[in-house]
Amino acid sequence: MLAPAVVATLLLFGGALAGAVEQSFTPPLGGGLESWTLDSWREVLGDPTFVDAFWFSLRTTVAATFLSACLALLIATLMRRHSAGMRTAVAFPVPVPHLIVAVVAVLWLAPGGLADRVLGSLPLNLVRDQAGLGVVLVYLFKETPFLVLLLLAVMGRRLQEQEEMAAVHGIGRWGRLRWVIWPAVRAPLLIGSMIVAAFVFSAFEVPLAVGPNYPPSLGTYALEVTKANAIDGAGQAAAALLLGAVASIVFALAILGLFRARREPSER
Amino acid sequence: MRGNSATRTTLAAGLALVFVLPFIALVLQAFADSWTAPALLPQEFGLRGFRDGFAGGGAGAALVRSLQVALIVTVLSLVIAWPAARVIGERRLRHPGPVILLLAVPALISPFAIGTGLTGWFVRLGLTDSVGGLILGHLVFSLPYAILVLSTGFGSRLRHSEEMAASMGLGSFRRLLMVSIPEIRPTLAVAVLLSFLVSWSQYGSSLAISGGSPTLPVVLLPFVGSDAEVAAALSVLFLAPAIVALALAGRAGHFR
Repeated sequence: MLAPAVVATLLLFGGALAGAVEQSFTPPLGGGLESWTLDSWREVLGDPTFVDAFWFSLRTTVAATFLSACLALLIATLMRRHSAGMRTAVAFPVPVPHLIVAVVAVLWLAPGGLADRVLGSLPLNLVRDQAGLGVVLVYLFKETPFLVLLLLAVMGRRLQEQEEMAAVHGIGRWGRLRWVIWPAVRAPLLIGSMIVAAFVFSAFEVPLAVGPNYPPSLGTYALEVTKANAIDGAGQAAAALLLGAVASIVFALAILGLFRARREPSER
Repeated sequence: MRGNSATRTTLAAGLALVFVLPFIALVLQAFADSWTAPALLPQEFGLRGFRDGFAGGGAGAALVRSLQVALIVTVLSLVIAWPAARVIGERRLRHPGPVILLLAVPALISPFAIGTGLTGWFVRLGLTDSVGGLILGHLVFSLPYAILVLSTGFGSRLRHSEEMAASMGLGSFRRLLMVSIPEIRPTLAVAVLLSFLVSWSQYGSSLAISGGSPTLPVVLLPFVGSDAEVAAALSVLFLAPAIVALALAGRAGHFR
């Protein structure tokens, strides 16, 4: 019964990876894999723009993931006893495509935008800023509600009862957070963060809409080399995207490893 | 104590507003023919954004194409995901970890990378610039979500109901229609919406695959930063399914 899903995944996902690998080793002027070359990989790894793009993507990913996880924990703790209406309002950005959040960010945060008009002027430039603050802010706005939803799903009545029981036994607020709430929310928070990190690292519609012209993100770098270099751009883009894919998987494994390492001995 | 509770409620209401208010401004911008600084509200309302966005027919065709692709991807995802989700949900696998990892890993990889990798094959198969190519490209991302969500609806309770229906002489098709689907309806609703939204909001894979037949997000992005009103007008259309999704997911939650 697993066959249709496994075959579809192997054919499409496996085929895509194989296609990208083939493209990255194919000589620029064709000739097939029998005359394969490492030129695209050499070009990408020796390109300072790629190195800058990699660090830019890494920086924004770590900042967006860490900050949205912290904010989600705070917001979920605050929202859990509130009405379904308020929770739905906080969850509103979850089904909204990233591109629309980027459009909203430009509307509010661009020079002369709504935030400027309401506050007089913004102290920082947040659209096309070199540090990528606007990119991080868009991901915070989009990903925090996603993590809040995951956390609220485990912060139900049972957890409240456990907290009340702990309070009856004289455990203070920090003790309850450490011994009751954290063990319950750790798994969804880390798994959610893994999905966020993998997505943010390689996504590119948000950096394309609000990110700086330089450095590009990994995704925008791949798009730019394809557009700028008609002959060997596709091979370089494939090599850059494959490196990004490997980094996304390393992120996911690192977060899973963190989750396993932090499990209490009794849970193993 | 009461003051503390009031502060928390005010804070929660403020947060809720922070997540909704920016989208209200987007809708206002979509219908604003003139909205220049320092005005906090549009000076003139109109439909220029929609008119200019749809001028030339590109956005209209892209909207239809996006809708067509997302609907077909949703149906295909559910049909392919159903049996796998049943096996996972009923815990019939001895080692589920590797299977779930294999089925879920596409969700962790850049859509642009997947689209770029598929393009070479699609050129050979004559699927570039086609709805068929887009459907296959989007299926990579919507299938993992359909499987993971649907698997939460299967379990011993549903199996017992199906066995009871079988013992009463119901054939497999009637069992599906009269027992399985009604019982799994809330989960199915979420899986349908998620599959649809994943395909509907695909940008990276569509950009790589679609070529001369772009989808709505591919048409929309160039307007961001160049024409705020057109970008907002197309965004409102792009946003509509998300709002329907949220409303229906809320309703589906009430069925539980």
